[in-house]
Amino acid sequence: MFEARGTRRFLAVAAALAFCLGPYLLVPLLSLTNNWRFPHLLPTDWQAQHWSHFLTGSAMVDSIGISLLISLLVCAVATPLGFLAARYVAYHPRREQLLITAYAPYVFSPVILATVLLYLYLKLDLVGSMLGVLAAQIMFAAGFALIFFVPFWNDHKRRLEELVYTLGGNRRQAFTQVLLPLFREPLLICAFQTFLISWTQYGTTLLIGAGKVQTLPLKVYDFVAEANPQYAAMAATLLILPPALLIWFNRKLALISSQEPL
Amino acid sequence: MNNPRRDPSFWAFALFVLVAVLPIAVGLVYAAAYSFGTVGLLRQGFTFDFWTATLTRSEIWFSLLNSAYVATLTLALTWMVALPVSLSLRRPLEQGALGTAVYLPLALPMTVAAFVVFQMFTGSGLLARPFAALGLIDSPQAFMPLIHDPASIGVIVAFLLITIPYFSLLLRWFYRAEAVEELCRLTLTLGGTRRDCWRRVAWPILWQRGQVHTMLWWISVFGAYEIPLLLGKQSPQMVSVLTMRKFQMFDLQQKPVAFIAALIYSVLVAAVLTLVFRRAGKQGRLGV
Repeated sequence: MFEARGTRRFLAVAAALAFCLGPYLLVPLLSLTNNWRFPHLLPTDWQAQHWSHFLTGSAMVDSIGISLLISLLVCAVATPLGFLAARYVAYHPRREQLLITAYAPYVFSPVILATVLLYLYLKLDLVGSMLGVLAAQIMFAAGFALIFFVPFWNDHKRRLEELVYTLGGNRRQAFTQVLLPLFREPLLICAFQTFLISWTQYGTTLLIGAGKVQTLPLKVYDFVAEANPQYAAMAATLLILPPALLIWFNRKLALISSQEPL
Repeated sequence: MNNPRRDPSFWAFALFVLVAVLPIAVGLVYAAAYSFGTVGLLRQGFTFDFWTATLTRSEIWFSLLNSAYVATLTLALTWMVALPVSLSLRRPLEQGALGTAVYLPLALPMTVAAFVVFQMFTGSGLLARPFAALGLIDSPQAFMPLIHDPASIGVIVAFLLITIPYFSLLLRWFYRAEAVEELCRLTLTLGGTRRDCWRRVAWPILWQRGQVHTMLWWISVFGAYEIPLLLGKQSPQMVSVLTMRKFQMFDLQQKPVAFIAALIYSVLVAAVLTLVFRRAGKQGRLGV
């Protein structure tokens, strides 16, 4: 009914494509140029060898490794935790009241939360450690995972589970042979999302990590703050590449499972 | 099977409360106690002094107002762009290059969005260069300020890079899920006009379905940190930036200000969240 047609549609699609792809093209482009300064409209000097200096000389490999390790661990803990906790919330008579507890870590500003959490983390001797950063990031990721899975635990799943018990199966069989295969796609999608939540986390890592846990988002900001756009662009390229690949894969899975959002 | 203690999901929820909810509660209680002078290095017995001193200064109120302004304008502009995009490009958003590309901004870290806008919008940025090539400006200083600017244009544009694709997808999804196309055809069959379809059918349905997401995003933008840290003005700062700055200052007297800002923010967010739940509950839709 309201669909654009002809030239208008072509122009609108082109503009939308430029808008969506712009950052993903500009950031790698900036990382490959040298001295692309005002007032030059186009890059004048291309330098790919900066990448090898960058990867070897600025502790980037360490940052990539730390970011990957933290994100994978957050994903590995938060996804199953949210998956199981969501079942309890979804089938509870006071579902809405319990769900509001999950929204607290999910919607609050990570930086403001980290500010009020810092005392507790100091007492637990977690500040400036990878364990502390992990614990803080799991809070947000698990909150997301719980909210994500609640709509999936519906009457249909419950009846299937009860059918297993009726047929003489136990809880373990219900989970491993019925529920886990049914939840395969949502579990993968949620795992990607929790990975992304951790991968892009900045404020919490900055405060709880106390500058000792140098993840990629921290590196990007450091390079921007020290007016080094080329290094910032290289770090940003490394930061956006895995999410771009994951979102593409995630979309393929989402098309398969196509669950209704909020 | 009904004993909750034998149910792994009960223990998972208990663990979730322990690792995710309890620390927040403890943190907020500590922040409140600190702000009332009962704990911490500035402990002097229960007092309203810190609250009085903070609330009578304009800094915190301007900061909250600035955050609300940025969040509200971002969401208003998002709707103004995403709604026509979702309606006029429904098919391209589902298939082809745009069908995949539109998901990419959803994975754009806020730090990178801020960096991109910084590269585009500074006086010597990419946006200023065509103006220089056309002879309209002769130096970076002559370009209009779009970064650290009074109207927070750079901050809002950085948020729009993420929110517009998100809402375009969301509204397209609602359009299909609520069968708006069929309802509009029915409106035309019953003698209504295209304007009626828009005003009485499409807009009310999409607006009602999108309200909960709008409020959640409003909370997210209101408390955002990375983008205003890099692109925002120095005064008034957005509430997250102000809280972090006060917290990290060497002057210990500023710590209660940080905690009070965090507590006011928490109360505001809790209020909006309650509103979200009431609306989502009415619609029977809770979850992501």
